[in-house]
Amino acid sequence: MTAAAVTNVRAERRAAPKPARIPSGDRPAYSTGERRTATEEPAWVRWLLIALALGFMTLFLFVPLATVFVEALKKGWGVYLAAITDDDALSAIKLTLIATLISVPLNVVFGVAAAWAITKFDFRGKNLLLTLIDLPFSVSPVIAGLIYVLVFGLQGWFGEWLRDHDLKVIFAVPGIVLATIFVTFPFVARELIPLMQAQGIEQEEAARVLGANGWQMFRRVTLPNIQWALLYGVILCNARAMGEFGAVSVVSGHIRGQTNTMPLHIEIAYNEYQFAAAFAVASLLAGLALVTLGAKYIVEQRVHRDKREALTQGEPS
Amino acid sequence: MSIEIRNLNKRFGATVACDHIDLDIPSGELVALLGPSGCGKTTLLRIIAGLEVADSGSVLFHGEDTTHTHVRERNVGFVFQHYALFGHMTIFENVAFGLRVRPKSTRPDNAAIRRKVMQLLELVQLDWVADRYPHQLSGGQRQRIALARALAVEPQVLLLDEPFGALDAKVRKELRRWLRRLHDEVHVTSVFVTHDQEEAMEVADRIVVLNKGHIEQQGRPDDVYDRPATPFVLQFLGDVNLFHGRLGHSPGGATAHEDVTYVRPHELEVLGEPIALDGAQGEAPVWPVTFSQALTVGPRTRLEFKRDDGSYVDVELPRARWQGLREQLGLDAGQRAWLRPRQVTRFVAGGQVAVPDDPAAAI
Repeated sequence: MTAAAVTNVRAERRAAPKPARIPSGDRPAYSTGERRTATEEPAWVRWLLIALALGFMTLFLFVPLATVFVEALKKGWGVYLAAITDDDALSAIKLTLIATLISVPLNVVFGVAAAWAITKFDFRGKNLLLTLIDLPFSVSPVIAGLIYVLVFGLQGWFGEWLRDHDLKVIFAVPGIVLATIFVTFPFVARELIPLMQAQGIEQEEAARVLGANGWQMFRRVTLPNIQWALLYGVILCNARAMGEFGAVSVVSGHIRGQTNTMPLHIEIAYNEYQFAAAFAVASLLAGLALVTLGAKYIVEQRVHRDKREALTQGEPS
Repeated sequence: MSIEIRNLNKRFGATVACDHIDLDIPSGELVALLGPSGCGKTTLLRIIAGLEVADSGSVLFHGEDTTHTHVRERNVGFVFQHYALFGHMTIFENVAFGLRVRPKSTRPDNAAIRRKVMQLLELVQLDWVADRYPHQLSGGQRQRIALARALAVEPQVLLLDEPFGALDAKVRKELRRWLRRLHDEVHVTSVFVTHDQEEAMEVADRIVVLNKGHIEQQGRPDDVYDRPATPFVLQFLGDVNLFHGRLGHSPGGATAHEDVTYVRPHELEVLGEPIALDGAQGEAPVWPVTFSQALTVGPRTRLEFKRDDGSYVDVELPRARWQGLREQLGLDAGQRAWLRPRQVTRFVAGGQVAVPDDPAAAI
């Protein structure tokens, strides 16, 4: 990102009209520093900064990412395919997808409702709600998992009641889904609130006055205005839901083939020295992350445009 | 459709937005709610629309109580200051919105909607932008579309909240006249909010001047301007010079030291010598002043005079008159001159109104 930004600035400079040629007789040709503008750094500083940024990115991002794929395919496609079609691996993939498919839609509903309440109404405790939405960001995921163990676990508050009714939450799929929902719930709301605040409520009021009912107003006016921000929130939420390790690890119980998600499966395989298997599943997750990143980039452009439009709305053009 | 407002009250915390407001708006009129910002005019408009709920009091449309009618069912057209057009819809869909959201039983078919929308776009002279999006239009065009959208539902009343407030001065002037002509064509009862007295005077049939949540005065533009009921109205509707203390003798011989005399800058005559009005006796209201400077903006010239007590008096006259006057009196900075009012307005302390139109009568 940093490197790209620096490169862009340089590209713009190159495109700018060149200063008039200095006659070689008057000025020595080597003093290129003379042509610098007041805010421009000398060439060696620019190159040093770019090199530093690129070096860091290579060391901490590109190399590890490449390693995942190299390691995964080290022993050939046969081993790779065997590793990801293994029963335990498939079950982990399935569980991750289930947890994601349940938690993301729920968080969409929650996020839209929370953002709506916070931006369109005034009520007591609004700031408290805003702070609470951020709670999962500030609490360690391990603690998030622990909370559910303490509430729903055998020794927990509802443990006995759940056992009597033959319901299993902890060390089972419901616990994993709950933990995933907890760690991902700020994403959609956090993305929508600033945009909806910038957009205000005038369009909704206009729709109301024109006779729209609540659903028509939401469906025809609000939703089209927030759709890109919503999608952006969903993408972030989705990425986190699939990759969540800490909270899920506490409530899962690591029962192979039953309560292992992809990140947990990778950890177990790695601890058992099955590097090919670990990296194969890891490459799947990394691939999903790259797809998410691509989608995020595209959607981000649209969100920025919406926000700009909301902010410049009403100004005569 | 007439609008009646009965004893309306609304507070926001400690701020009083509407203070026992009673108001009748006759059917088919174009009425301006005029006042400084924070006087409650927008709140009053939003209560009429149903976008805000009054603390007490009632709103009647054509004698029918609508106080508790939901904004959806009030059938009002509302035009927002910042247009509030739906950015993701074409202009056509924006105008069609109010028809499309109707329940199936009363919703016109597509052909009827198309006819209606195109007819409205022609009315606002923008039928050629039907397929564009709001962000491709200028501010003035957007506001005309907002008006067409409001009219599409055939509202009983049309409410406009500072409709020209976000536009630049030239477009604003054009749109004002256009709105006036449009109203003469459609004749729907209309209320618009403005803080611009010129706009109110030019567009409205009637002006309601609001201050701190209550009505100061209402009436035809000329009446309000010529016969202001309170000092606030007088000062809000244009510039005015204040003269404290006694001005000649009051008709009954009584004097009040808190009396203030108001004279508008264009009602003052500049004299080279202290002459009283023809036929007037005794202390004539002629003020000795010292010429300070002249500022010419376009066709009008504003003269600044200093009084002996240090206060300043403004006189406004046409540019040509000023040029004649300068030659005639040879006015220069620091020169002595006298001012004679053609019309003064006085409010006796305690709020009682006394409006001697002819200064000679006050003598």
